[in-house]
Amino acid sequence: MNKITFIINGEKRSIYVEPNDVLLDVLRDKLGLKSPKCGCERGDCGACSVLLNGKSVRSCLVFAIEVDGCEIETVEGISQNGLSVVQEAFIEMNSFQCGFCAPGVVIATTELLRKNSTPTKEEIKEALAGNLCRCTGYTPILEAVEKISHHNKHNSDNTGGTNE
Amino acid sequence: MVVAHDFLYQKPSTLLDALKLRAQYGEKCSLLAGGTDLVVNIKERRISPDIVIDIKGIPEFSILEERDGSIFIGSAITFTELIESPLIKSRVPIIAESAHTVASVGVRNRATLVGNICSAVPSLDSAPALLVYKTDVVVESVDGKRIIPIDKWFVAPKKTALQNNEIVLGVLVEIPNSENGTAYMKLGRYSGEDLAQAGVGIMISKNLEYKIAFCAVGPVPRRALKVEAFLNGKEFSSITNELSEIIQSEISPITDIRASKEYRRHMVDVLVERGIKLALSRLQGE
Amino acid sequence: MSKYRFVGKGVERIDGREKVSGAAIYTDDLEFGPDLLYAEIVESSEAHAKIVSIDVTEAEKVEGVVQIFTGKDFPYKFGLYMKDRYIFAQDIVRFIGEQVAAVVARDPKAAKKAAELIKIEYELLTPVFSQMDAISENPVLLHPDLGEYPHVPWFFPKENTNIAHWRKTKRGDLDGGFKDADLILEETFEVPRYAHCAIETHVVISKYDYSGRLTVWASSQSPYTQRHLFAEALAPLGIKHKDVRVIAPHVGGGFGGKAGVTMEILAAALATKMKGHPVKIRWSREQEFYNTYQRLGVVAKLKLGLKKDGSITALQHQLYWDAGAYVEYGANVVNAVGLSATGPYKIPAISIDSLCIYTNLPPGGAYRGFGYSEFLFGLESLMDQAAEKLGIDAVEFRLKNAISKGDTLAYGAHMNPNGLKQAITEVAKEIEWGKEVVSIDPEKVLCKGFSLLWKAPAMPPNASSSAFIKFNEDGSLNILVSGMDIGQGYLTVMAQIAAEILSVPPNKIRVENPDTDRNPYEWQTVASHVTWSCGNAVKKAAIHIREQIFDLMERAFKVSKDNFYLEDDGVKSHLDPSFYLAFKDFVVFGIPMDDGSFRGGPITGVGTFLPEFSSAKSDPETGQGGHPNVHYTVGAAAVLLEVDKKSGQIKVLKAVEAIDAGQAINPDLVKGQITGGLLQGLATVLYEDMRFNDKGRLLNPNFTDYKIPTTKDIPEEIVPIIIEVPQPDGPFGARGVGEQTMIPVAPMIANALYNGLGIRIKSMPITAEKVAMAILEKEKN
Repeated sequence: MNKITFIINGEKRSIYVEPNDVLLDVLRDKLGLKSPKCGCERGDCGACSVLLNGKSVRSCLVFAIEVDGCEIETVEGISQNGLSVVQEAFIEMNSFQCGFCAPGVVIATTELLRKNSTPTKEEIKEALAGNLCRCTGYTPILEAVEKISHHNKHNSDNTGGTNE
Repeated sequence: MVVAHDFLYQKPSTLLDALKLRAQYGEKCSLLAGGTDLVVNIKERRISPDIVIDIKGIPEFSILEERDGSIFIGSAITFTELIESPLIKSRVPIIAESAHTVASVGVRNRATLVGNICSAVPSLDSAPALLVYKTDVVVESVDGKRIIPIDKWFVAPKKTALQNNEIVLGVLVEIPNSENGTAYMKLGRYSGEDLAQAGVGIMISKNLEYKIAFCAVGPVPRRALKVEAFLNGKEFSSITNELSEIIQSEISPITDIRASKEYRRHMVDVLVERGIKLALSRLQGE
Repeated sequence: MSKYRFVGKGVERIDGREKVSGAAIYTDDLEFGPDLLYAEIVESSEAHAKIVSIDVTEAEKVEGVVQIFTGKDFPYKFGLYMKDRYIFAQDIVRFIGEQVAAVVARDPKAAKKAAELIKIEYELLTPVFSQMDAISENPVLLHPDLGEYPHVPWFFPKENTNIAHWRKTKRGDLDGGFKDADLILEETFEVPRYAHCAIETHVVISKYDYSGRLTVWASSQSPYTQRHLFAEALAPLGIKHKDVRVIAPHVGGGFGGKAGVTMEILAAALATKMKGHPVKIRWSREQEFYNTYQRLGVVAKLKLGLKKDGSITALQHQLYWDAGAYVEYGANVVNAVGLSATGPYKIPAISIDSLCIYTNLPPGGAYRGFGYSEFLFGLESLMDQAAEKLGIDAVEFRLKNAISKGDTLAYGAHMNPNGLKQAITEVAKEIEWGKEVVSIDPEKVLCKGFSLLWKAPAMPPNASSSAFIKFNEDGSLNILVSGMDIGQGYLTVMAQIAAEILSVPPNKIRVENPDTDRNPYEWQTVASHVTWSCGNAVKKAAIHIREQIFDLMERAFKVSKDNFYLEDDGVKSHLDPSFYLAFKDFVVFGIPMDDGSFRGGPITGVGTFLPEFSSAKSDPETGQGGHPNVHYTVGAAAVLLEVDKKSGQIKVLKAVEAIDAGQAINPDLVKGQITGGLLQGLATVLYEDMRFNDKGRLLNPNFTDYKIPTTKDIPEEIVPIIIEVPQPDGPFGARGVGEQTMIPVAPMIANALYNGLGIRIKSMPITAEKVAMAILEKEKN
C-alpha cells in the first residue's frame, strides 16, 4: 500500500492505494464520490471524466497512485456551492434522459467554458465529442451549452462577462 | 474493470534514476506517461509488467521548445499541449492538425505524442506528421544517448527500434526552412473519434517539393518516396492513372475490422488527391 | 395550445436536477458495507461444446476467494416466454460468453484473478452460426429437447428442428392477389445483429438473508417481471413471491437490453448459496455486448404484387430470424413481427411467416423497435422500388396505400384512429419532397429519402399496470408506480397525468423508480406502453382520489358532490365562487367540523389498467381470430443527405420525423424521443457493425470498434413533428412513441441513396465503405 495525498473537491485527503488501483474505483469506492460513472473501462465513453489539475481526464485510464500531489474535481465539487450555470442550463433544457453520461458531460462542459466562455457550435461539439450519450441524440445538450455561450457573448459585449 | 495484475510503481524524479530502473527491469518494465494505452493494455492483460515507471516526475520530459532550428517535444508532452502550442501551430502545423484527430479532449489531455509513436500501431496518427518533417527520436540509456531517425523508428506492427534498456526523451522535429503547405487527411468510420482506416500526411513546399507519408495502409507508417519523386517539381491537378499506380505500389493494406483492403486502396488515392489540394490551398493562402 | 393545464406542456423533468448534480443513484452507486462479496463470471470460450470438466483447484487457492460455483449448483431453468435457459450452463454451452462458473470473492481483484485460473475442458460440437444453415436439411440440433420446453400458448415450436417458434399470419387470397398483379417484385434483405449500448452496463446486487428473504437491486426495465422470474426459477428452494423484493434505482439507459432477466439471475442464484451476504456482479462493457441480449438478425424475403394504379394486391413476407442460443425473450420479437410485417399499408392478401431460429450466437432479445426496424428496412425499401417501377411518386404511393382507421389488420382486427396521412403530408412538406436538390460540390450528391413507420406494443394480452397515489400533509403528492424511467421521462409524464386530474403542479409531485415491496404491479417498461398503460392506471388512481374528495365535500359541507371541482391545489365550488379549500388543509388531517370532530383522513388513490379487449388466441395456421396488439403508433420520416461520391461518407443535412403521439403528454419529451431515436436509428444504419469471426466470437465488444455516434455525427438539423390523433383508450388520448422514433431510419437512408446515386443497398449497415464500393461497382458496369 502506498500513501498518496491530493486535493479532492477543495479538501486535502491522504489515502492508501495499491499501484494497480484505478482512479475511478478509488474515487467511487474509497472516497464515496459516485458521480464519475463506469461505462466502458477503456477511455471510450467519457462517463468517468473528472478534472485533474483543471483538465478533464478519463479516471478509468489513470492509476490512483499517479494523482499524488494533484488536484481533482468531480461533479460533487462543482455542485457543492450551488449548481453551476452549466448544470442549471442542462436542467432547463431537459438535456439528459437516463442521465448516466451527465456527470461526464458536466465535467467536459465545465472545462470548455473555463477555457473559452463563448465557444462556437463546432467548438462545443469538439469538446463534448468524447462523451458518449445513447439517449438524447446530443441536440438538447448542445443547445444548452450554446445558450450559455450566447449569453456570455452578450454579457461580455457589455461587461466582460463570466464563464462556467 | 479492476486491474488484477500486481506490479510495482516508481516515479523517479531524475532521468538517471529512471534509466537505472529501466536497465534493471528491461522488458519487464512499462513506461507510463499519459497511460491511455498502458492502462488498457494492463487491464486487458495484453501486458503484465513487473514495474511501471512513471516518467512524469522528470523535468526533461516536459520540455516543448525550439532548439537550433528544430522543435523538441518531450515524452510527457500531451496532444492537448501540442494543439495549444503557438510554436507547433506556426512552425510544424501538421503536428497540431494530426493531434486534433487523436481520440477526444479527455484522452488528449493525458495522451502523449511520444506514447503514441511508442505504441507503433499501424494506424497511429502522429506518424505521417512526423514522417513528412525531418524528425529524430531521441533515446537514452545508461550507456548514453542515441538518435533514431523517424523513418527507422517503426520496425514492425507494435514494434519500434527502441532497445529494452532505453527510454525516449522526446522527438526533435526540424522546422522546414522553406515556405510550405501541409495537410493530414484521416479516414475514420465517422466524424467522431476513431482509429484511422487510412491516414495521409502531406507537405508541399513553394518550389513544389512533396513529402507524403501514410499510416494504416501497411504494417508500419512510412514515407511514400516513389510518389514524392513522381510529384516533385510538378503542378498537381488530379490523380492520374500513372500516379495511382505508384501510390498503390507503395501501400499494402489489409482487411480488418475497420475497413477492407479494397476500400483502403481506393481511399488512399482520394485522400492523396484531396490532401494535396488542401495543402496547396494552404500554401497559396499564406 | 394544449387544452389542458399540465398535460401537453413541456415541463421540466422531475429527475433533471438530481441527474445533473451527480446526486442520482444508479445501482452501481449503492453502498453495501464491508460484507459485500463480488462475483466474477467465467464464460464459455466455445460456441457449441460439451463441458467435460471444470477444474477450480488453482482458483480456490487465490486469497480472498470465498467460494466457486458451477452450473451443477443451480439446476434451475428460467425464461420469459419460453423456458429454454439454465442459470448457468449445465452440460452444453451454446454461445461464446455463456456463463459456466462463478467465483465469489471478498474483493473484485481476487475474483478476477481466480476466474482466470479456472480450467474448463470442452468437447467441441459443430456450431451453427447462420439461421439459414440452422434450417437446412439435417442440421445440428441446438436444443434436442425443444419439444419439452414450457412456453406461452401463442408460441409454436417445431420439435426436432431449430425452429423455436413459427408465427404464421395469413389473410385473403394470396395466389389470386399475385395473379391479379400487374407488377410483382421479389427481393431479399438482410439485417445483422446490433447491441443496445446503454452507457451503464448491467449491475446487480442480491442478498438472501437469514430470514429467507431475497432482495435484488438491479439496473432494470422490469422489476416485477424479474421478481416473478426469480420466484419461479428459485421456487425449488421454497422462495415465494412475497419473499422476493426487487429494488430498481435510476437506470443508465435500457433500450430493451435491461428488459426481462439476463445476468440478474446469476446474482440472485449465487446469493441463495451465500446466505447473509450481499453479492454483486457488474458486467464489463465486453460482457454487456455478448451476454445480455442482442438485437436479432434477420433475412427477409419479400414478394409484393401491385396494380398499375399503385394499389397493392398481395404481400408475402418470410422472415428468418437469427435468434441466438436461447430465445426465451427473443421469440416474442419474432412473434410481434409475424403479426405486423405488412407495415402501415392496406393489403388485401397477406402471408407472413416469421421463424425464430436457434443459432450458436449470443441470445437475441428485446431491442428498441422490437423487430420493426428490421422488417421495415426491407418493406419500405421495396415500397420505393415498387413506386419507381410504376412511375408513381414515393410519397403519393404511400398516401394511396396508407392504412386508415377501421381498415382490417393482418390478423383480422381493425386499425385504430391515426394520423398517418397527416404525418406523410407534413413530412413531405417539411423536407420539400419533389423539389430537386443539387450539390455545388461536384464530388457530392444531395438526395432525399422517405419512409413510413408503425409499431404496436408487443405484450401478452394481460400485461397490466397499477398505481398508488398518496397525498402528503402539505398537499404534495407521491405517486407509486413500477414502471422505470429509463430516460424517456416516464416519471415526469406520470406526474403530469396526475397533476391534470388533481390540479397539483408536477413540481409538487414526487415519483420515483420502484421497489416491488412498496410500489404496485407493473408488467415491464417495454413496448412503448407505459405512458399509455401505466398512464391509464395513474389517471384512474387520480380520479379515485378526486372522487373521494368530492364525497368528502358532500359529507362535510352537505352540498351535492357534483358542485365541486379541483383547481389551484384545492377544491372549488360551482355554487359559491368564494369557496376554496386548499388540499394542504384537509388531505391528511381531515376537515374540522363545528363540533370539533373531523371528516376525512389521509387520502390515497388506487388505479389499475389491463386491456381487457386484447387476446392472443388465434388460429396457429393463419393467426386470425385474436386481438393481440392493442394499437399501433404510426408516423413518417424523411432525410436530406449529402453523400461523398468517392468516400461514400454520408452527412445527414436534415432529418424530419412526424409521429402520432395521440396526445403528447409532454411535447418536449416526445421531441427528445425523436432526436434521440433518430440518432440511434442512424447509428444502426451508418456506423454500427457487429462482427463475429468464424468461431462465433464477437470481434468488437467495445466502443473502439463498435461505433456509436458522438456529437460530431449528428444530423445538422432535426425537425420533430408531433401529430395528435387521440387514442380513445389512452390517458388524455396518449399512446407511446419511444421505440417508434428509431424504426424508419434504415429504409429512408437506403431510399435516399437510391434516389441520389442509383444504388440499392439491401443489407445493413450502410457504411461509407459499402456505399463507396457500391458506387465503384456501378461505375464499372
